[in-house]
Order: sequence, then structure tokens, then C-alpha cells
Amino acid sequence: MKRILLFVLIAGFFYNQASAQNATDKSEYQQAMEDVVADIQEAGLEADFQPFANVLERIAAVEKKEWLPQYWGAFCYMMKSFAEPVAEKKDLLLDKAEQLIAAADTLNPNNDEVEVLKANIASSRIVVDPMNRWQRYGALSAMAIAKAKSINPANPRIALHEAQGVFYTPEAYGGGKIKALPLIKTAIEQFAAFKPASAIMPNWGAPVAEYMLAEAQK
Amino acid sequence: MKFQLYPFALLLLFTQSLQGQTIISGKVTDRKGDILVGASISIKGSYDGATSDTLGRYSFRTRKKDSVIVAASYIGYETELRKVLITGPTMELHFKLKDAFNELNAVTITAGIFEASDSKRMVMLRPLDIVTTASGGADITAVMQLLPGANRVGEQEGLFVRGGSASETKTVIDGMIVQNPFFSSTPDVPQRGRFTPFMFKGMAFSTGGYSAQYGQALSSVLLLDTQDKVSDQSSTNVIAHLAGVGVGYTHKGAISGQLYYSNLAPFLKLIKTNIDFVKPPQGFGSSLTVNQNLSKNSVLKMYATYADNDNALGLPNYDDGGKTYLFSLHNRNFFTNNTYKVVMDEGKWVWQSGFSYSNNVDIIKIGETPGDRKDERSQLRSVLKRNWGKNMENSILAGVEYHYIVNSNVFGVNEAQLKENYSAVFAESEFYLTTKLAVRAGLRGEYTSIIDKPNISPRVSLAYKTGQYSQVSFATGQFYQTPEKNYLFINRNLGYELANHFILNYQVSKNDRTFRVEAFDKEYKNLVREYQPNFDPNPFRFPTGNTDNSGFGKAYGFDVFFRDKKSIKAGDFWVTYSYLNTKRLFQNYPVEAMPTFATTHNLSVVYKQFIPKIGTNFGVTYTYTSGRPYYDAANPVFLGDRPKSFNNVSFAASHIRPIKGSFLVFFMTVDNVLGRRNEFGFRYSSDGLSRFPVIPVAYRTFFFGISMNISRHAEVPKEGKLDI
Repeated sequence: MKRILLFVLIAGFFYNQASAQNATDKSEYQQAMEDVVADIQEAGLEADFQPFANVLERIAAVEKKEWLPQYWGAFCYMMKSFAEPVAEKKDLLLDKAEQLIAAADTLNPNNDEVEVLKANIASSRIVVDPMNRWQRYGALSAMAIAKAKSINPANPRIALHEAQGVFYTPEAYGGGKIKALPLIKTAIEQFAAFKPASAIMPNWGAPVAEYMLAEAQK
Repeated sequence: MKFQLYPFALLLLFTQSLQGQTIISGKVTDRKGDILVGASISIKGSYDGATSDTLGRYSFRTRKKDSVIVAASYIGYETELRKVLITGPTMELHFKLKDAFNELNAVTITAGIFEASDSKRMVMLRPLDIVTTASGGADITAVMQLLPGANRVGEQEGLFVRGGSASETKTVIDGMIVQNPFFSSTPDVPQRGRFTPFMFKGMAFSTGGYSAQYGQALSSVLLLDTQDKVSDQSSTNVIAHLAGVGVGYTHKGAISGQLYYSNLAPFLKLIKTNIDFVKPPQGFGSSLTVNQNLSKNSVLKMYATYADNDNALGLPNYDDGGKTYLFSLHNRNFFTNNTYKVVMDEGKWVWQSGFSYSNNVDIIKIGETPGDRKDERSQLRSVLKRNWGKNMENSILAGVEYHYIVNSNVFGVNEAQLKENYSAVFAESEFYLTTKLAVRAGLRGEYTSIIDKPNISPRVSLAYKTGQYSQVSFATGQFYQTPEKNYLFINRNLGYELANHFILNYQVSKNDRTFRVEAFDKEYKNLVREYQPNFDPNPFRFPTGNTDNSGFGKAYGFDVFFRDKKSIKAGDFWVTYSYLNTKRLFQNYPVEAMPTFATTHNLSVVYKQFIPKIGTNFGVTYTYTSGRPYYDAANPVFLGDRPKSFNNVSFAASHIRPIKGSFLVFFMTVDNVLGRRNEFGFRYSSDGLSRFPVIPVAYRTFFFGISMNISRHAEVPKEGKLDI
């Protein structure tokens, strides 16, 4: 027993050393971001995104010139808002998401990914109170998407966002799963072609497109 | 097993301290000791940190040495920074975080105010409610009349608040008084407001105890805040309904123009009216709005409108067996309201200035007698506000106002004219003693040339949060108003009329359900009294007797409001009940009596249901109003008679349909579905022998129309996007 424990301990130690070695190879920033982005990618919809958001905010506080910690932080708070049942608390989380994406926008202006996330956050605002909010936030969302399109029309998250808009709109309003199908297909094709510039660049949404495709083809 | 492991654990610690690491651990709770899950603990300037677990515990390692700052933060709480000297292999740090100031936990002053807003979360109404409420007819005032504290007076426009007459309520747009908020008054035909609810992002209806920023209203103010520029979209809007057509175009979200033509002839042909419209109301209107963010911190809003309306109707002559005589009205109205707002020093300073001008002409013929009215008002206003506090939650402001008003009225060969120079200064502070206790205190000073005396009125409101979802609020103050111009035409020695308000309010709001109860007491002083040998009940008469300020009055009562948007899916339901007890000695009343515009009981039930499947919104509204006093010379008790109560059921439906990137909205309403023959009161011939009921324009009416919005980036409404 003792031997096993000792082995685990030593192995653990070496493992730590090895990863520490890696860390110096990469840079502390790159490593920390890779870890947390990987965690986010693996997390399911039911996961609590708060710990990731906390890690990202710690990184953002040190790396004042990097936009990605702010970007992913905004993403985490948006994801957390979906799981939050109380409308007022949803808004507090989205306040935070808006604040972070605005910071990312300042650090990296005219970026399609930032615009797409802005559009998604605006749409999340609508979800809180659709009847009263779609007019204001619908316009904000449309503007951000239009800007993203003008920067990089191949970004699959643009088509994904548009597909979601149609997918979740009742058929009576000209939406629905069937109507969304062409957009879903475009998104899926674009996801297949999409290669993120690095492991920490925005790269999310493909499973959502797959899910919608499955639903639409039912 | 446990103690076997122990030496290894020790070894582990030892190794780590050799590597120069320290384990920092502890627990994060709120001030009450409840654990916080998901709080972030970090060492400033490093990646080191952790997140509190489901027990509120956290633990992390750091290589940092000596003096560091450890930060603990959590959404909705204030971040705590602690200077720590790192020593040894382990350290324990516990945090008790303080609630941050936010709309969720901070108290808001609710006594005497009912808000509709898009931007504020803790309000009970949304601007959209104005257009979706049955019996409201998309008219702001008509919907406000369904709220607690308002009385319904069926034959006249305006807001009658807690025993006050319509002239005791002022409509204010972006801080400035609107001279003619309604289409020109016609006897027994209540008029709509001149402004569409779509112009405003927020509306607040005061039932008393309002802010020192506003004056010249004994009872109430209706505060309207115009829309901000939200997008760069261009859009076209076309509307057609039973009574007219309109078209509007907005260019890049900044400039918009509207034109409409209205003609009630087709509508009046379809329904049975109780009034003989010799010339059906007809008119045209136009408006131009400029709404531009000049820089990141400054906004310019300009609005101008011109409207021309005329109509003629036969009014009964009570002394001639009800034979009618002609009343004709031709109205021309020009109004412009302009404001400039600049925010400085990251929101610490806000300066808002405005200019408005209004010119209203009513060419009136009563029988063969001309009775023209002319009003002109020029207004300047400037307010400087300083915000402070962590979330800019506290403020102090000071402002000035200047109005130049010219009123004139012709009757036959007589013409009366009144020129007024009115100025006001005010200061007000709103601050939080704690997140649970808010205070608003203000002082307003006014001077008008017609009275030639100043007045000073203090106003105070308090609010205290009694629980997570409940609060009590209190408001009091003095409210002055210059007497009605009809009295000032004949007597220039009158003084200000005064009302003192006391309001106590309790409110619980949780999960889209709101319950609110408010009690009030209002004391009227220095009301204008007119001395006449015999009482003349004609509501349209001109005063002729001697007048002074010896009148007085009192109003007290309570109202209850309950709204539930939760229990029925996509449904919304609200109930309002107001009780009022009031008496006055004023105008030409010979004795103290309940005034003719007051009602003891007011009840309204509003229900709305949205059915997403067919994209249609339905609404039903029921209103009950107990009979208002009317004058019968045969009754020894002055104003001792009451007609039967007023009951009304209204229905409204609207359907939204997107067609190729644009929206079509179909709407229809039926007022008084049951066709009940309501009577507002009676009027008598001067010999008191024959009486005539005062009745609505029509018993049952219906209305329908269609509106289309074409925008370049038309977005589909995302009502259904609820479950992503």
C-alpha cells in the first residue's frame, strides 16, 4: 500500500515537473489559456461556467493587452446566464458579459468573432423578456452580425447565429426548423472548413449546429 | 489507513514548502454567513487563484512571497481586497463579502410613482403595455387611467388623480411641460393624447409626492422620456385604419418624419353615435424628429410637430327641449421640444438643457358666438446633476426653468388675455444611506408675474427595504399651482393654490408578481372660490362672480394593485382598485361637496394572453367606476345625486405577421362589448324641470387597422427563442 502511495506521489511530482517544463516552453499565458479553453470546450451545457470565468478574469487582470481572456470570459458569463432561472440575475450576468466583450472590442477592434459574440449576448438579452426587448436588442444583434459579415463572411458562427434566430422563431412568424435548414447547412459546411489560428482562438458552436441539423431532419 | 497516509501528507507539505509554495485556503460567505458558491479568490497581478466550491471553500497554491493583495469577488457583491503577508506553508483566509449595490437589492422610491420603462428592470409596466391593453386604444392617458390613483371621467380627456381635476395634472416631456398634451377639448367628446406611445422609452405616472424637478401641478405629473437612438437602421412605417392613414420614414435611426391624415367619417358611418357630428373630425398632422449622438457623451434630441384638425357637432340646448346648436372647432397646433444632454467625467456630471415652444389656436364657434382660444408657451430649462458613489447611485442636482406664457380667450365681443412670466429654481438630492434606505429631498422655488409673489415648496421621499422582495416607501411635499386662467382673466389678485401630500406605500415584487398598496392624504388650501347668488352647473361656463383664495379641500383613500405575469404561460393579468373620499369648497360651490369629477370606487381588471402558435395577442379589460356626483336643483343636498355605476368590457387583438423581411401588424378593438348603456350623469335645464343624460359618444364601438414596418435589416421577433 505504502509503495503504491509513494509511487503515485512520485509520479505526481514528476508529472508536475513535466508540465512545468511545458509551461516554460510555451509561456505561462499560452498554457493557462489552453487549459481553460480546453475545459470550456469539454464542458457540457449543464456545466457551471463560473470557475472558468474566474480563471479567465485572473488572466485578464495580468495580461492587460490580450483580448482573448476577455472574449472567453464574456462567453462564459453568457453561457452561465442560460442556466440561471431568475430573470434579474440573468441580467446581472449579461451585464458582466457585455462589460467583458466591450473590453475585448477595445483591445481588438473590428474583429468578426467579437461582433458575433456581441450579437449572441444581445440575443440573450431578448430571451429574458422577448416581448419588450426584441425591438431594441434585435436591432443591436442585427447590427453586430452585419458588421461581422462584412469583416469575415466565412465565420461559421455568423450562420449559426442566424440559423438559431430562425430555428427558435415560431412558424407563425416565418421561422421554424425547416426554414432554418439552409442556414444550418451553411453553418455546418463553414464549421468543417474552419481552422482556428490557435488552440485558444474562438472555436465553438459546431455541436449546436449538429444538434439543430438533427432536429430539423427529424 | 488514514494515519498511514499522514506521514506522506506531511512529506507532501514539506516538499511543497521546499519548493517555496504556500497553500492558501478558506471560506467565502456573504455578510449573513451564507456560503457563496463560485466566488473568485485571486492574488492580484498573478494567475494564482481559485473558485469557491459548493461548501464555499477554496484552496490554491502560490509561489508568491511576502506582501500581496488577495482579492475575493463575486457577481452581485463588492470585491474585497486584503493585504496579506505570505508566510509558512499554509494560510487560512476567510472572506465575508458585502452586497453590491444593484437593482436587485437596492431599494427604490415607489411612493406615488408608477413607472413604465424598458431600461429599468424593477418596474411594473413596459411601454409595450400601452399598446396591448384593451380599452386603452394605444393612448397613453387611457392606459394610465387603469392604474391605481386615477379616476375615470368618461366625457372628458385628462388624468384625474386622487380627487384632483384634470388641470391638476401636467404632462412633461424630457423635463418640460407640454402646453396642449391632448387634442383640443370638445364638450363631452373625450380627446386622445397628441403623442404616440412609440415616441417614449419610459413613462412615469405620479399619483402625488413627486420630485422638486417639476411644478405647477396640484395632483400629479405624467413624465414622458423620449426614445434614444438605438440603431443605424432605416425603416418605413405605413399605417391604415378605420379613421385615417399615416406614413413614416426613419433615416439611419437618426432622423424621422411622420405624416398622417385622419377622417372619422367612415368610422362614424359604421357605428351608432349618440352625438350628432355635423362635420366629422378630420385633420392632418406631421412631425419631424432628430435624434443624434453628437459624440460618445452627448445627445441632441429635436422634435417638432404641426397638426391641423377640425370638427363640428350639434350640442343640446338644455333650455330648449334639447334642440341642438352648432359647436365648431378648428385647431392648429405647433409644438417643438429640443434637448441637449452631455455626460462628463465618466458619468459624474450630467448637464441637460432644453427649449420648447408651443403655439395652439382653437377657432371655436358656439352657435353664432365666437369663442376662440389661443395659447403660447416658450420654455427654457437647464439642469446640472452630479452623481457619486461606487455605482453612481447617489445624485444631487440643481436647475432653473423659465416660461413665457400667453393665453387668450374670446367670447363674443369680449377678449381676455393673460401674459405670464414664470420662473423656477430647484435643487434635489437622492442618496442611499444604506442599500436598504434611500432618501430623496428637494426644494423648489417659483415666481410668476401674475401673482407677483414667490413660493417655496419642500418635497421629501423615503424608501426602506423590509425584505428581499418587499419595501415601504413614504412621500410628502407641498405643491403649488397658479389658478386656472379663467379665474385669472377676471381677477389678477389671486394667489397660488396649494396641495399638501402624504403617501405611504408598501410593495412586494417577486418572480413577475407584484402586489402594491398605497394610502394617501391630500390637503387642499387656498383654492379659488367664486361667489354667485345661485349655483350654475354648466361645466363650460365662464366665471363672472367675485373670487378669492378661501377655498379648501381634502382627499384621502387607498389603492391596491396586483399584477401577475407568471401564473399563466404567456399571459398577464392585473387588478387595480382605488378608494377615494374627497370633499371640496371651491369654484362656484356654495358648500363643501364631493366634486363632480371624483369617484369613490374604481376597479379595473386587465388580462392579456399571447398565443405564440398563431402570433396573436388578445386582451380583455373590465372597468367599474361608481357614479360621480351630479347636480339636481330639486335635491336639498348639494351634488347629492349619483347615477348608476359605469361598467365596461373591452376587447383587443393584434396579430403580427412577417412578410419578406417586413412586419404586418393587424389590430382590432371592441369597446363596451356588451353594449351597456352607461350614463356619466345628468344635466338640467335652468328651470330644473327637464334633465338630459350625459352619455358616451357611442355605446359600443369597434375599430381595426393594419400597420406595416419595412426595415432594411428587419429582424424576426424572437418571442419563440426562449429555450436555447
